Amino acid sequence: MSSYWIQAISFVAIFIALAGSLYLQSSIGGITNFGIVGFFGVAMYLYTIFVVTLAMPPLLALLAVVGIVFVVALVLGRVILDLGPQSILVATLAFATIIRHLATVLEGVTGAAKGIGTVKMPWDFEKTSDEKILFMVVLIVLAAIVLLYAAKIKKTPYGRLMLSIKDNEVLSESLGKATLNHKVIYFAFTSAIIGLFGALTAPIYTYIFPHFILADVTFVVWIALLLGGRMSVWGAVVGIAVTKFLFDYGIESVLSAFQVRMGPAFGAMWPNIKLALFGAMLIAIFMFRPNGIVSRKREGSLQ
Amino acid sequence: MSSGKVIHLKNVVKRYGGRTVNDINDKVLGECGIEGLIGPNGAGKTTLINLISNKISLTEGQISFFKDGTEIDISKSSIDKLSRLGLVRSNQIIQDFDSLTIMDSMLLSLAASKQERFYKLFGDKKARKMAEEEIAWYLDFFHFNNPNGHADSAGEKKLLDIIRCMMLKPKYALMDEPTAGLSEDQTQRAIELMKKRTTEEGMRILIVEHDLDLIWNVCEKIHFMSEGKILLQGSPEEIKCNEMVHNKYIGE
Repeated sequence: MSSYWIQAISFVAIFIALAGSLYLQSSIGGITNFGIVGFFGVAMYLYTIFVVTLAMPPLLALLAVVGIVFVVALVLGRVILDLGPQSILVATLAFATIIRHLATVLEGVTGAAKGIGTVKMPWDFEKTSDEKILFMVVLIVLAAIVLLYAAKIKKTPYGRLMLSIKDNEVLSESLGKATLNHKVIYFAFTSAIIGLFGALTAPIYTYIFPHFILADVTFVVWIALLLGGRMSVWGAVVGIAVTKFLFDYGIESVLSAFQVRMGPAFGAMWPNIKLALFGAMLIAIFMFRPNGIVSRKREGSLQ
Repeated sequence: MSSGKVIHLKNVVKRYGGRTVNDINDKVLGECGIEGLIGPNGAGKTTLINLISNKISLTEGQISFFKDGTEIDISKSSIDKLSRLGLVRSNQIIQDFDSLTIMDSMLLSLAASKQERFYKLFGDKKARKMAEEEIAWYLDFFHFNNPNGHADSAGEKKLLDIIRCMMLKPKYALMDEPTAGLSEDQTQRAIELMKKRTTEEGMRILIVEHDLDLIWNVCEKIHFMSEGKILLQGSPEEIKCNEMVHNKYIGE
């Protein structure tokens, strides 16, 4: 397998896990997190600083990063989750903006625009490709665990609790459920999952720059979830398969082959062709399947 | 008629701007199994229910809840804490969880706090088994078209709201127009359930209703409210024959 496809599959696994986490937050917990890239970015930078600057062992660094992201989300959640959905959206978006700003200005810590690296794979094999393949397999396994968790949670007492909070928080409270506490812990836990995958992105990039944590990471995950269908975790998988795999890698590969045949003029056009195709598909899906590709008969139902 | 009180309202005042919606000097509730709260529209009945259940906060005064002989000031208790203490309410306006089936909704009510943890992915079979018998009793007592589906009609949603409350086995239940939207048969069943709980388990219930036949037939004691005040407390016969009640309410 070529390096290109190893990296492509690794990123798809990461984004599937992010979409799965967003499904958990948004579709199960009713938390509108527009700051996914904030948790993703803070984890990516912290992991890099821990293993590169502080020379910590990768596993220890990973555990520390996930723990820190959990605590950060716990504090942020306690402050914002009592607010309305729009306020949560703005607050999480602001959090992500602050993280990116810090990554840009704290030159002594993050390297700012010059970047920080080099982040190596957590293991050392003779062949670099073997290291990357094993890392890709680990990412696929971890993403699969997130998806299985997301698929199973609806049928657990905890899943029913979170769905009840999403649907009608006051009614849930009147049944004796400490809704704010549950929301805060759930937000911290699911944000820690986002952090885990943020940290694991660092060895793929090897060198970390602030432009890796732009808001488009959040937008891609949200578009994927809406495209696939936010009522099922498999919608998130389909959405990422379409946005990342089909468009970022699949169509890119096909168009690259065309470029070889048709010359550089076509090469200049194909990013726009790709965007046009993506836009056309979005319109078609919102017109004909407004609940997403993997939609259910009953609108609003998660059964 | 039972004895003892469950709720003590002490100088309870609720104002919105300059308008006083509730002004109750010193009254006790919950001395009898099923009590009724009646009064004309705008008397402040639902506001009082909202104040006791802490859906809205008091402007002045104190509300005490008596549990096992202990007086607890619940004026500032959160809704979930009140529910855990044993004070629950059903809703006047239909409330439901769109994502949950009838069965899921009942399981939610019966779930113990220790089962509701994000890391507990494999406890559902046990939780269902523990709740199985109780849910089966309710499904046998009331009829739902499809217990594994969603509550579709207003009646089913209203019934589910009452069942969720009853499943919590509260000491005191506030029922705001519990039979509105229920069929005759469902109403009889709901009343039968309430009577059963008050006689067998010592539960106390306060019903807010405009169906006066139901109030006269079911309640042991009635509180009459008008203009934000509880003006009269007594047996159905006493309230029914009272001239002020006729002038302000029944004769409307």
